Amino acid sequence: MKSRKRIIITLLVCLGLAALAYYAYLFPFYEFETNDYEASREKLFSAEYLKTLLPLFIITGLSALGIVLIIRLRKLMLRADGKYSRFAARQKSKKAKAPKQKPVPFMIVRWLIMIVFSFLMIWGGLLFGLKMSSVSIPILSCPWNTEQMTESSCYYLSHLSELFEMPVKSILIFFGSTVGFILLLGRAVCGFLCPIGLIQDIMDKIRRKTKTEGISANEKVYNALTPIKWCMVLLFIGLCFIGGNFCNFCPAVATSPILAGMSTSLYVSGFLMVFALIGGFFKRRLFCNICPLGYIVGLFHKVSLFRIKKDCTACTECGACYEACPMGIKSIYTEREKKDVTEANCIMCGECVRRCPEDKALSLTCAGIKLYTSSRKDIMSGYAPKKK
Amino acid sequence: MMTTTREMQRKQRQDARFISKQTQTSAKYLRRIAELPGAPDGMEPFYETLHRIYVGMQGVDLPLGVNAVGTYCVMAPQELIYAAGAMPVKLCSGNYTAFFVGDDIAPRDACPLVKAVAGFKHTGLMPIYDNCSMMIVPVTCDCKKKTAAMLSKKCNVMTMHIPASRGDDEIDGFTDQLYELAAWLEDATGNRITYDSLVNAFSMVGHAQYELSKFIRLKKQHPYLIRGTHAMTIMNAAAYMSAPAWANAMHRVNASLRERAEKGQTVTSKKLPRILLTGSPIVFPNMKIPLLIEETGGIAAADETCMGERGMWDPPVITDNSFDGMMRALANRSLRPCPCPTFADNSQRLFRLRQLIRDNQIQGVIYHVLRGCLVYDFEYRRIEEELGRLGIPVIRLESDYNEEDVEQLRIRIEAFIELIKLRQAPAEKAAVRRDFNEQILHWA
Repeated sequence: MKSRKRIIITLLVCLGLAALAYYAYLFPFYEFETNDYEASREKLFSAEYLKTLLPLFIITGLSALGIVLIIRLRKLMLRADGKYSRFAARQKSKKAKAPKQKPVPFMIVRWLIMIVFSFLMIWGGLLFGLKMSSVSIPILSCPWNTEQMTESSCYYLSHLSELFEMPVKSILIFFGSTVGFILLLGRAVCGFLCPIGLIQDIMDKIRRKTKTEGISANEKVYNALTPIKWCMVLLFIGLCFIGGNFCNFCPAVATSPILAGMSTSLYVSGFLMVFALIGGFFKRRLFCNICPLGYIVGLFHKVSLFRIKKDCTACTECGACYEACPMGIKSIYTEREKKDVTEANCIMCGECVRRCPEDKALSLTCAGIKLYTSSRKDIMSGYAPKKK
Repeated sequence: MMTTTREMQRKQRQDARFISKQTQTSAKYLRRIAELPGAPDGMEPFYETLHRIYVGMQGVDLPLGVNAVGTYCVMAPQELIYAAGAMPVKLCSGNYTAFFVGDDIAPRDACPLVKAVAGFKHTGLMPIYDNCSMMIVPVTCDCKKKTAAMLSKKCNVMTMHIPASRGDDEIDGFTDQLYELAAWLEDATGNRITYDSLVNAFSMVGHAQYELSKFIRLKKQHPYLIRGTHAMTIMNAAAYMSAPAWANAMHRVNASLRERAEKGQTVTSKKLPRILLTGSPIVFPNMKIPLLIEETGGIAAADETCMGERGMWDPPVITDNSFDGMMRALANRSLRPCPCPTFADNSQRLFRLRQLIRDNQIQGVIYHVLRGCLVYDFEYRRIEEELGRLGIPVIRLESDYNEEDVEQLRIRIEAFIELIKLRQAPAEKAAVRRDFNEQILHWA
């Protein structure tokens, strides 16, 4: 009975999503009088730019409001629950900080790459004249931003019908570069390059700074997200064939083109961006869990160069990696035989390696070279006595 | 009236006998540990702590206004107790004298650890038991469950339910339980557990764990740097010391060990057989097995027991730095990495043993079973099979809290160590010896 109920609910949610995606143009989030895809360097530094940024301000405002509301609501709800409420309501002093590990080079590099790459994807063409428009990278960086550094594959993957009308050479370049990146980097593009990923990581950082409780997602939550992800994949690929436009639905539209100074009308994508921001605040990289493009890239996880390796003898099954994993990959700590624990969902963020307390138990490798290895020293670095 | 006076006198005599017997055994074991050559510098605080509690018959070294909370398992998180402004004291007992008293109270098949606890509680002579007006008893086996009932007559007892598996739901449930425990601790101590106090507690215990991980790294990298008996004494003393005091003492030991490692000093010049001790907890003063190992020419290179390294080895990994995140980290740390046989599927213990064998170049495993400790006894078969596959000899030693079986144990341990020596001897020598043995057999 229970499972039937769950199936019905899942089906309803998926159908709702499909309908929302198909009729996305009926739900305008913010409409400009005319969509203007011309951007120039002058426009970036003029007052007109602020006007184009307006939808972004609305999104940020709505997200902030949503987050505050949810925190308030949760407090109210917790008041009824005697167990938590006596602890939840207490004040925290600003001084007290939970023990923190010292930053490691890998994480610093990852953040730098994410920030620099996102910056280039948005303003690269405008500010620095960097344009290699024929190469496509499989990330959610909106291709409506015509001035971005390189093309992103998401447009043609979601508009396959348009792709096949193009000259053969373009098709070959498109597939060649996309497949090439998938094979080379795999889902490392999600952890290192994707601007939507960066935005969600920033939201998570803010939550950590404010010491707000997140949602401790367990298997049930991830299991509930899986059918939604499949539904998203179907919509992503199939919508163009039945006359819809995934771009009206995709949250990525709400960032890159607008930031580059292009007035782009937002439909459901604006609402979805608010959802992604609020979700990313409470649950790290929530959107990545339902990202259709990431899923497609993940299908090829068996052949990509980036891998998570595990020394099964060194593992104590403490589950710290699973707790840390934003994608909820459980096999990483339950695996006791295989050396390679790379999963379709793994975005190579390195969080599991960072939180692993056993020496050399987990490592992130690229083409066999160890980029980042877990160590007890790193974990305990926050507890080291202060030198006098 | 006459009878009551006589009874009182008898009771007094009994108590005096109990105290003298108890202090004598404890002093003897302390002396034997101290006499073992090769102890690193800075062991004094650990000896002193054990001496004060078992020989001096004094309580724990409590700062003024701090309560002591007794715990009976490593699954009761120390961090929470420190956060409530109290000090955790591990009350699991290894006392022979108390065991004899408890023998009459607890059923015949109960394990000696529980009998010793019952004995101490019954005589009411140990000050550390009077220190703790609050006790946390995680129910890891049936004996512990009934211990909780027995203890609750005299003090405030909180039982913790330990689930049989370690899935997601169980971790969620255990987190809920930790909230209950926190509330109970607040009520019992009168202090408040806040974000700040929890952070403080984390860094206090974290510092101790930092020193421990340094200690274990040194031990791993340099074989024969320290004797296992001394290492186990250090870990046993941690039960009665506050985390900062223990960490400070540990810091001195680590410095001395590092110095040794740099100079290339070892406790022995010979290649003694390296033995891993696992199974039921080994609690001071029941140190006969590690002492016998080292007195008969082996070295207890590592241990996998809950009064030993396991108790503090796994750090709580904070993945979410909110209050709830820290509670979750505690719940996760308490259940998931713990290779306690109370869990139905405990195959991770095999892997933990493999890890210890690889890291410490172990040549033989001694499996210690306290008589009546069923869960550990159950796992022996599986571990024997697995170790057989790895080619590591293993021996099961069942013992009780008394000294009657010491000689028998000595013979078995000695033979076991000889066996390992025979295996590690160079091939030629071994061949000669084998011939010799065969000849003996032939003659016989």
